[in-house]
Amino acid sequence: MFRRFAISCVLLLVALQSGARTRPHYGGTLRIETEGDPWQQPSGIARRLVYDGLTRIDAAGSVQSALATGWEADSGNHRWEFHLRPVVHFHDGSSLTAAAVVASLNLSCTANCPWSAVHAVGSSIVFTNDAPMPNLPALLAGDDFLIEAVGSAEGSAPQANVGTGAFQVASSASGQLALKANEAGWQGRPFADTIEIRSHRAVRDQWLDLSLGKTDVVEVPAELIRQAQQQKMVVVVAPAAELLAVQVSETGALSNPQLRAAIACSVDRAPLANVIFQKQGEAVASVLPQSLSGDAFLFPVDRDLNKSHALRGGLTAPALTFAADTDAIMQLAAQRIVLNLREAGFNATVTGTAATQHADLTLRRIPLQGGSSSAVLDQVLRAAGETQLGTASNPAALYKAEHTFLEQHTLIPLVDLPRAYALGPRVRDLHLNAGGMPDLADASLGDTP
Amino acid sequence: MSLRQRLLLLFSLTVAAAVAAVAWTVLVRIRHVFEQRDQEETTLFVSQFQREFQHRSAETAAAVDRLASTEHVRAIAFEIVQSGDAAPYLTEAPVLAQESQLDFLEIITPDGNVVSSAQWPARFGYPEPAAKETGQAAFLKREDLPDGSTALGLFAVRSIHGAEPSIRLVGGRRVDRQFLADLPVAPGMQVALYSVPPPGANATQNAFDTKQLVGTAGDLPDAERYGSLVESALKTGQQQTALIDLTGQRENSANVTAIPLKDQAGNVLAVLLVALSRAGMVEAQQHIRAIAYGVASGGILLAIAFSLWIAARVSRPIEQLAHAAEEVAAGNWDARAPEQGNDEIGKLARSFNHMTAQLATQREQLVQSERVAAWRELARRLAHELKNPLFPLQLTVENLVRARALPESEFDEVFRESTATLGAEIANLKTIIGRFSDFSKMPKPELERIDAKDVLERVRSLYQATAAGEAQIDFVLHIARDPMPLMVDPELLHRALSNLVLNAMDAMPNGGQLTLAAQPVEDKIELRIADTGQGLTPEECERLFTPYYTTKLHGTGLGLAIVQSVVNDHGGTIAVESHTGSGATFIITLPKATA
Repeated sequence: MFRRFAISCVLLLVALQSGARTRPHYGGTLRIETEGDPWQQPSGIARRLVYDGLTRIDAAGSVQSALATGWEADSGNHRWEFHLRPVVHFHDGSSLTAAAVVASLNLSCTANCPWSAVHAVGSSIVFTNDAPMPNLPALLAGDDFLIEAVGSAEGSAPQANVGTGAFQVASSASGQLALKANEAGWQGRPFADTIEIRSHRAVRDQWLDLSLGKTDVVEVPAELIRQAQQQKMVVVVAPAAELLAVQVSETGALSNPQLRAAIACSVDRAPLANVIFQKQGEAVASVLPQSLSGDAFLFPVDRDLNKSHALRGGLTAPALTFAADTDAIMQLAAQRIVLNLREAGFNATVTGTAATQHADLTLRRIPLQGGSSSAVLDQVLRAAGETQLGTASNPAALYKAEHTFLEQHTLIPLVDLPRAYALGPRVRDLHLNAGGMPDLADASLGDTP
Repeated sequence: MSLRQRLLLLFSLTVAAAVAAVAWTVLVRIRHVFEQRDQEETTLFVSQFQREFQHRSAETAAAVDRLASTEHVRAIAFEIVQSGDAAPYLTEAPVLAQESQLDFLEIITPDGNVVSSAQWPARFGYPEPAAKETGQAAFLKREDLPDGSTALGLFAVRSIHGAEPSIRLVGGRRVDRQFLADLPVAPGMQVALYSVPPPGANATQNAFDTKQLVGTAGDLPDAERYGSLVESALKTGQQQTALIDLTGQRENSANVTAIPLKDQAGNVLAVLLVALSRAGMVEAQQHIRAIAYGVASGGILLAIAFSLWIAARVSRPIEQLAHAAEEVAAGNWDARAPEQGNDEIGKLARSFNHMTAQLATQREQLVQSERVAAWRELARRLAHELKNPLFPLQLTVENLVRARALPESEFDEVFRESTATLGAEIANLKTIIGRFSDFSKMPKPELERIDAKDVLERVRSLYQATAAGEAQIDFVLHIARDPMPLMVDPELLHRALSNLVLNAMDAMPNGGQLTLAAQPVEDKIELRIADTGQGLTPEECERLFTPYYTTKLHGTGLGLAIVQSVVNDHGGTIAVESHTGSGATFIITLPKATA
């Protein structure tokens, strides 16, 4: 009897202790390390913590209210009116007004905007455009259109990096950014008191720090997800968060669509997905991931070198420039594509940066920030420099729009890439949003084991 | 050129030629020896270099061997074979290459495809033909690189132990400028590498391209000078050696050996140039040559000095003998040559002295004889000259004695005639005595600067009328246009010329032509007096200037002697040219007056 009682007590204590550890705790400092700049547009990790958008995409891909509490459009989707959430303040204490939102949007979107005009009407923001904007709420959830203070109410010079987000800047020095919880945040106080972001850390160093308990969240590039899992790291993955694609210039050496088509046929996607990205990506020839559109299989991914030669038709293309980011994996992918192109009769040279304005080919990672299929297509088209965004409302029309766009061969989709982070043992409830970015405001810290 | 100078020249030339011949022979021999040593040295260094190159090849093969034996690599091979998934090892080759200090490394699947490549990471999945060369020694291979260029490397292929089917490693090291720089080279040696452009490149395979030639310090200056040697090595595929002049100066030349480097198929992929500078050898040669020239010059100078001494020693007695002979010739019969030694020169000197002494004695005797003869001739002349007036004097005196018996009137007439005859003959005697007196008392010349033309004009003007009147003699004057200044006593010269003119007129009793001529001959003035008379015999010509010798019936034989005396007193000479029946020409040569 006593023995049973004793065992029951022990089990109860263990259960209580376990429950205490799984409950979210307020307080503590969450430490994150990144390879890039936390403020880098559009997807720097600090931006989502400090700024909010008018809307947001939830984990299911649905558009939810954020700084805007509601919105409505006219019948043709040419005019949208977003109603601003009342009693929201920037971190500097100034009120969030429709005018401030318009000023921020005008600052962040200077060209190729989804709208032609935006203005404040009372506590509402009105967007107008000649073409319909059916996906504007989803687009406004993107990292490009986060709202930041561009001028204080008193007209004084604005402070840098002031938003309405769950965290505000506490200090920034020598590659280390400290954010503190915004106690008066409209969305409530986050669990962590502070977040320390250590930037410009190599991935291997991040992993070492994680193993030594010096940090709580580190980046895991797609090509290293497999390795991280083999090392028993706790990895959270957002599949198809980025589209690896080659953007082809319509001008210059590749103004001939036949040559662009020949290039598209010559690229062998399988080695990119299976070898370079270690089977963590999915070779695609469509803009939309299969999981989103369901018709990606209709776009053939196999390489067709004979067709490429036929399309080239004996034309000798001049030497092409191929821009790619300087990180090793992008350079490797670019070199592999150049090797493919060489077999198809194209002579391309890889240059060291994707910022090359006049490159004939550019290897890009295009963020897929979530939302409906139509919204994601709009995001990609906009990222590809298209000004005429889609208006498709059903899967058939969406497929047609995607197919029409890809027929131009100005963007050659290659691989859908996941985005992943490895977590330390203290981190609780950290999820990645639809765009693959960590939702740190909802994460908490458990007790140190 | 004197005997001493000729001897000196002869000795000097002989010695100099001998020294030059010896020096040339020595230099040629030294050069030959140096060239031979240079060739041997080059061969030695090239063979050493080749051994070093082979050593590097073996090192590369050993490095790949060691890598293939490591546990890590064997584990990779095992995993690839077991799982059939090579993707996780995409980035292994660069890491392994860095650890093994290899420039090239590829992991190859059993079917010959690249798993991971250090030199071209994007080449995974592509076949690597070189993987078939498993187990062989290191070989040369041209490797394609991502930037479109190619690189040469020493490669080795090794299977990884324990994995079946076998995974292979193809590893290698670059054969480039750094490779060359790491090779040990001897002082004065330079190495360079000529990379043959890959097939399909713009350049022709066997045509030399300076851009493809690199040395340990980068591009080679004057790379085009190696062109023919490289092309020769490329064409023949054999090692070639040539002497290459790098800057046009001999000390900057080099013995260059071109070693073709071939791949497994025997294609020449590169040419290794091993250049051994000849600067040291040339410097040594120049040093030796400078010493040889110095010694030769010193020897020649010493030989000249010695020749000078020998020539002086040999020629001095002869010079003294010659000097003595000159003295004797000048009339110093007391001159004697030094009698030194008992050699030929000494004997000659003694003979000369003896001969001179004998000649002096004989001359003295001859002078005595001539003096006696002269006195006899003088006595004969005086007797002859005085006998002619004395005979009429004797007859007149005897006639006057006989006339003493005649009546006084007749006596007076005879007396007057006799006294007249006596006076005339006595005057004749005075004249004869006066001439002898003049000959014995020739005056000292009082020199003046006059022109020869004036002298001849004066003579012609004096005698032309006389000659043209009675004797029907034509005067002809040939005088050169150039000035002919003379420093002479005008009166004495006029008297001498007058004497010759009168003789010429005497030689042409039936008329003829008398020519007076003057012309400059070098630094002298030549005066000619020529007639067209009967001329003179050679004997007469020979004795013509002897005092008291005459060919005339009433001559004293002193006229031409006086002329010769005048000419001699003015430093000149007189000569006669004549042939019987063709007249005679007297030639007076006097020194031209200086300005």
